[in-house]
Amino acid sequence: MGALTKPIILLVVIYLLLKFVVPNIPGSAPLPSSLIFLYLMLTMAGIVIYYTMSGESKDAFWGPIQRFLTGENIGALQTARYGVLILFPLLVGWQTYGSTAVSDAPPAENRTIHPAPPGEYTGLSNPVSKTPENIMQGKGFYAAFCSPCHGGNFDGKGPAARGFNPPPANFSDPTTIAMLQESYLFWRIKKGGVGLPIEGMPWKSAMPRWEVELPDEWIWKIILGEYDGAHQSPRTWE
Amino acid sequence: MRQRRAIRAVAGATFVVLLAASLPGWAQESVAVRAMMTKEPLPLDDPNAAAWNSAPQAQFPLSPQVHWQNRIQEVTVKDVKVRALNDGQRVAVLLEYTDPTEDPADAAALEFMVGDKKAHFAHGQPMAQVQGGPVNIWFWRNKDGKGVDMSAMGFGTLKTQSHQDVTAKGAYANGTWKVVFSRAMTTEHPDEDMQLKPGEFINIAFAVWDGRKDGAGDLVEKGSQKAVSSWWYFRAEAPPDYSGYIYAALATGVALAFQFVLIRKLRKGHSA
Repeated sequence: MGALTKPIILLVVIYLLLKFVVPNIPGSAPLPSSLIFLYLMLTMAGIVIYYTMSGESKDAFWGPIQRFLTGENIGALQTARYGVLILFPLLVGWQTYGSTAVSDAPPAENRTIHPAPPGEYTGLSNPVSKTPENIMQGKGFYAAFCSPCHGGNFDGKGPAARGFNPPPANFSDPTTIAMLQESYLFWRIKKGGVGLPIEGMPWKSAMPRWEVELPDEWIWKIILGEYDGAHQSPRTWE
Repeated sequence: MRQRRAIRAVAGATFVVLLAASLPGWAQESVAVRAMMTKEPLPLDDPNAAAWNSAPQAQFPLSPQVHWQNRIQEVTVKDVKVRALNDGQRVAVLLEYTDPTEDPADAAALEFMVGDKKAHFAHGQPMAQVQGGPVNIWFWRNKDGKGVDMSAMGFGTLKTQSHQDVTAKGAYANGTWKVVFSRAMTTEHPDEDMQLKPGEFINIAFAVWDGRKDGAGDLVEKGSQKAVSSWWYFRAEAPPDYSGYIYAALATGVALAFQFVLIRKLRKGHSA
């Protein structure tokens, strides 16, 4: 194998790992392209350092690159060489355009959907016991106060939901209340959209600040009714 | 040997393609009103002027105002269509929406954040963890036939400004309201008024009241009982800017020159 083949294979393998394998590891997420680019650059720097450690490996590494660039005795690779010589300046131009041109897109919004609650709202347990009567009462309150936006089916599709951005939470989605503790819901219902920290974009949420209208006990009952109606269970630490 | 080289070339090309594919993209969904730049006089008094057709139309859904009491759970107007123009000095915004009846109390409003501070879309309601700013509201009502420049910082704090800079004109036909709002892009009151700089995205929200009355003769939609949107974006488009292309051409030229010098140097070194 030539000295160039191994680095190229290494870069391709690392790219494929970052792009397709890492996002599939449980608890992981797709990596942003800028991060993948950074990792590839770091790998490339490592390869260059490795091959320039001894004179021999340096020649074995740079030799083929030099021959390719100068086009001496490379035969059929001549076409690929012209391709690279044309592609490289175009790529540089394209990148420059991307980083200097005035963006036509609105500012990117990085909203944290479930930001951390204030300390006093962590680990509270529901003081209302989970009896059929309390659940039924909670569902009644839910129907009166919450369902216009969050929907009679707990799916975030109430008749008043359509104009709101972000849309009201869909409680039947396993990434909403099923991932949260009851104390978290208590905070969100009590303080509403305006109670969110800055990363939650409190200026966009229409969620009312229910503490000015509903007693705490009703809020706890609504939480019972919400989990039961949406067929979800609160997250626990077990 | 030749085969090995071919493999190398293919691997190299694959890498370049993968690298290019991993570079950040620009595509993003549009959620903004774009006030197109025009050299023609702005149709400030004419919601039906042909000039509006030159501006792209954006559409935003509305919801009943539920954030604060007194809330409402059903509203007449479900969407607003918005177009806007600017001539470098003034900005004009055309709201268009369906309302089955023309009533004296029919009304519409635009809302903007003021300055750098974020403000809640519901009249700049106070936020628990963020120091919010005021909102600037441009209000029009059919029976008044004019624009009113207002400020608020939370429900119950709405007040008419002492300096009135906004004009508005409505026209009703075939079950549709068309209302034009206009104002100078900048004013001398940056603490109370939205300031518009060409090319810069700012936040905008909309509100509409259907002025119909119920059987008892009371207004169904009034005050906080209205159709609202949350924040979207608004931008006064600047004259076209080609500097990005110039920089790109320069960078391409520099890269070409670099290649040329490098290869020349390599060839010389090789033969020496």
